[in-house]
Amino acid sequence: MDVVAAPQKHTVVRRGPLRLLLSILRLGGIGVNARFWVSIGLLSAILIFGLLGPALLGKRDPLRIVGGLYDPPSSKVWLGTDNFGRDVFTQLMYGTRTSLTIGLIAGAIATGIGVAIGTLAGFRGGMVEEALMGFTNVVITIPSIVILILLSIAVQSRSILAMGLIIGITSWPWTARAVRAQTASLRAREHLDIARLSGAGTLSLILWDIIPYMFSYIFMAFVLQFASGILQEAALSLLGLGPSNTISLGIMLHWSLLWEAVRTGAWWAFFPPTVFLTVIAFALLLLQSSLDEIFNPRLRRK
Amino acid sequence: MEDRRTHLSAFLAHVTTRRQVLRGALAAGALVAGGLLASCRQGAATPTAAPAGQTPAAGPTVVSTPGAVTEFPRNETLFVAGFQWGPPTTFNPMTPGTGWPAGGQYQHIYETLFAFNLLTGGIEPQLGEKLETPDSATMVITLHQGTKWQDGKPLTADDVVFTYELAKDHPEVPHNTFFDYVSQITKVDDRTIRLDLNKERLNPGFVKQFLASVKILPKHIWEERAKSGQTLTEIVDTEPVGSGPYKLVGFSPERVALQRDDNYWGISVFGTPAPKYIVHPIFKSNDEGNLALEQGRIDISQQFAPKIWEMWEKKNLPVGTWFKQPPYHVPGSIPLLFINVHKKPWDNPTLRRALAYAINYAQIAELAMSRYSITANSSLIIPDGAEKKFYDQANVDQNGWKHDPQRAVQILEQELGAKKGNDGIYVLPDGTRLGPFKVECPYGWTDWQTALELVAQSAKDVGIEINTEFPDAPVLFTRIPNGDFELALWFVNGVSPASPWIRFRDVLDDRGVPPVGQQAFWNYNRYSNPAVADLLDRAAASQNEAEQKELFAELDRIFMKDAPVIPLMYRPLEFYEYNESVWTGFPNADNPTAPPQQSGAGIKILYVIKAKS
Repeated sequence: MDVVAAPQKHTVVRRGPLRLLLSILRLGGIGVNARFWVSIGLLSAILIFGLLGPALLGKRDPLRIVGGLYDPPSSKVWLGTDNFGRDVFTQLMYGTRTSLTIGLIAGAIATGIGVAIGTLAGFRGGMVEEALMGFTNVVITIPSIVILILLSIAVQSRSILAMGLIIGITSWPWTARAVRAQTASLRAREHLDIARLSGAGTLSLILWDIIPYMFSYIFMAFVLQFASGILQEAALSLLGLGPSNTISLGIMLHWSLLWEAVRTGAWWAFFPPTVFLTVIAFALLLLQSSLDEIFNPRLRRK
Repeated sequence: MEDRRTHLSAFLAHVTTRRQVLRGALAAGALVAGGLLASCRQGAATPTAAPAGQTPAAGPTVVSTPGAVTEFPRNETLFVAGFQWGPPTTFNPMTPGTGWPAGGQYQHIYETLFAFNLLTGGIEPQLGEKLETPDSATMVITLHQGTKWQDGKPLTADDVVFTYELAKDHPEVPHNTFFDYVSQITKVDDRTIRLDLNKERLNPGFVKQFLASVKILPKHIWEERAKSGQTLTEIVDTEPVGSGPYKLVGFSPERVALQRDDNYWGISVFGTPAPKYIVHPIFKSNDEGNLALEQGRIDISQQFAPKIWEMWEKKNLPVGTWFKQPPYHVPGSIPLLFINVHKKPWDNPTLRRALAYAINYAQIAELAMSRYSITANSSLIIPDGAEKKFYDQANVDQNGWKHDPQRAVQILEQELGAKKGNDGIYVLPDGTRLGPFKVECPYGWTDWQTALELVAQSAKDVGIEINTEFPDAPVLFTRIPNGDFELALWFVNGVSPASPWIRFRDVLDDRGVPPVGQQAFWNYNRYSNPAVADLLDRAAASQNEAEQKELFAELDRIFMKDAPVIPLMYRPLEFYEYNESVWTGFPNADNPTAPPQQSGAGIKILYVIKAKS
């Protein structure tokens, strides 16, 4: 019973605020597909800006000092300079790229660990399930931001990869729980019995007979992990624990706070990265929810 | 040794309570006071910036003193900011990190014998009326007539001798090394005190620094406490009785409030200070305080405020600093990039000089210091203000360095024989790659953090890889004196009656410096040079300015040759920013009626300002 109940409960809890947001968005009569395309459009724009921008606009070093302390926007520096006299527009391009990369690494790792633990626990059941889920529940009770901060301080060099890893290995538990529930419900399916009879091992069963059946779910989980990875990076960078020797949206915000950009009216230093973070998170959540409706016909509205 | 341990713990306690970073307190009397504490850095200043927002857990909730004044008429109250961060818990002038203005060199509640003036480098009458030196090893101090305590009892030579002699059996007091330099302090009569200096360690400048920083305590209150066997710095005093023009009338986690004492003994000598009340609101962060200054809710501030000139140039506010143009403030201290001279490959002075040539000092002054510094010179002498008379530009031009990346590359390639790797970073002939090295300063000291980011960028441009790390301040307050660092931005003594001698000692003198792993009180990178000791002692004892200048030039040459530290910028002793919306007549370079400081001789500011209405 609880096997079936768990994913439902999960869905309800996670969808609450989203539903509200969607019902607001729906006012204009925009349907599922429209929302999907809006999110894809926003994401492509950001990806192009972050990944192709530097190539299209000429490769520039975002750490190069080109002006003075908070020079306002001009024809030379389109979005002014930050407290180091560095071009904010260039930083925004490279910062977006860094933030996306870290989010991607973190999302992939968190989803990977979550799916591995969840499927193994859900499929094997018994002591294995008890042990793995017990461990997951313990990890879930520890506020991940605390572990994040401790890990970030402990590591010698905070490269982009290291940051992604740190964020990834602290944010998998809820994915593991949800995947375990899904797996447990799949476990009893008949096609698994057939596979078992033909001699397939645990790994093979999980890889070929379980995961493909919840691929849509895993993908949506990944999208959410991706979004939260980007926001986690921003949170860490705001505390001054961001990746070293590079620029990210969070690091931009970090320095603008330290140098009182708000009080001195240097809006160009804090507003663009804030907008970018918001848009990225919004687009990813929108994508996730529209995918949810595409994959799950019961959620579609007339 | 015993006393040092005590001091270490007191010092650490102090550091912990002031975690949240005082932007400018670097400056402040703190540093000056810190200087005199040869063996204990209490009051050591923390130059800094935006607090990380945390409030230290400061024991029990602070209760306002009984009968606290809660109404402060705006035109009778001077609002100040930048000295107190976090709730005050005690106003014991000897406790490290004590509540403003009991500590440091502030003269509001407790007074010192003389008050330091950062413009002249001299000391001015406070409790003491005059200082005579009948011979090079004797000082005779005469107190002003009528000096008395806020409780009405007379302040006499007995109180002065009592306060200084606490150093004999109370190793925890800040002036515990006083008797290393003075062999005897005697009362001649009620108004006269004689100091016999220690002829073995003759150092009149350093003794003057004691005279300008030791707060005289009322013997009738503190004698009993001193005899009780308590550690004096641990006594919690929330009703301080001093001799100064203001009394503490209330404090809470939100503010410290002072009220003028209209029975102040000094009224007949100095006049009456204008503000009836002085209130120091306690802000959580720099921008909160800077906004208050901008809006006229703060009259005079000591906080680092980026781009302050925009307040009058763009926003037309009646805000001012000492100078109306860069550098806006009078330089008072030199943050130094310490290089660990015992860690490979930095044990090679040629490499240290290559780094010195690589750094863009003008950029640091412009960006990290928000133009509040002139471009740093390769000298341990501050080229302006009180130390200007010792500064030797020709010596610096001939023996020093300046920003010259080509010269840095030339040193790396020709003198060190380094080869540039494919990644743009040089590799020494023995295979040592020049990086990644770690450079550190405390988190939240924004101008320092920014300066280090710029150093890393400059170094990368010539082919040395340096990464920045910003740990919490208490971590570095332990590690740097212990010599546990590779590269670090740190502070030494600012301008004082003992400078620049004390700064050369802080950087070059290896006497009294314990090995790596133990707490040092100066020379954190354990630099050693046999020529230094004699030069330093002669400079300290000399009464002849020309001779002193030559000795300092020789010390500066040793410093420039070996580059154990690199001066990155200048900071004022205190940031000095005022808003004339309510009070006018603040001194500035055009109207220098008082020095730009709220400690020491800066108490005069209170006598020259006037309420607008």
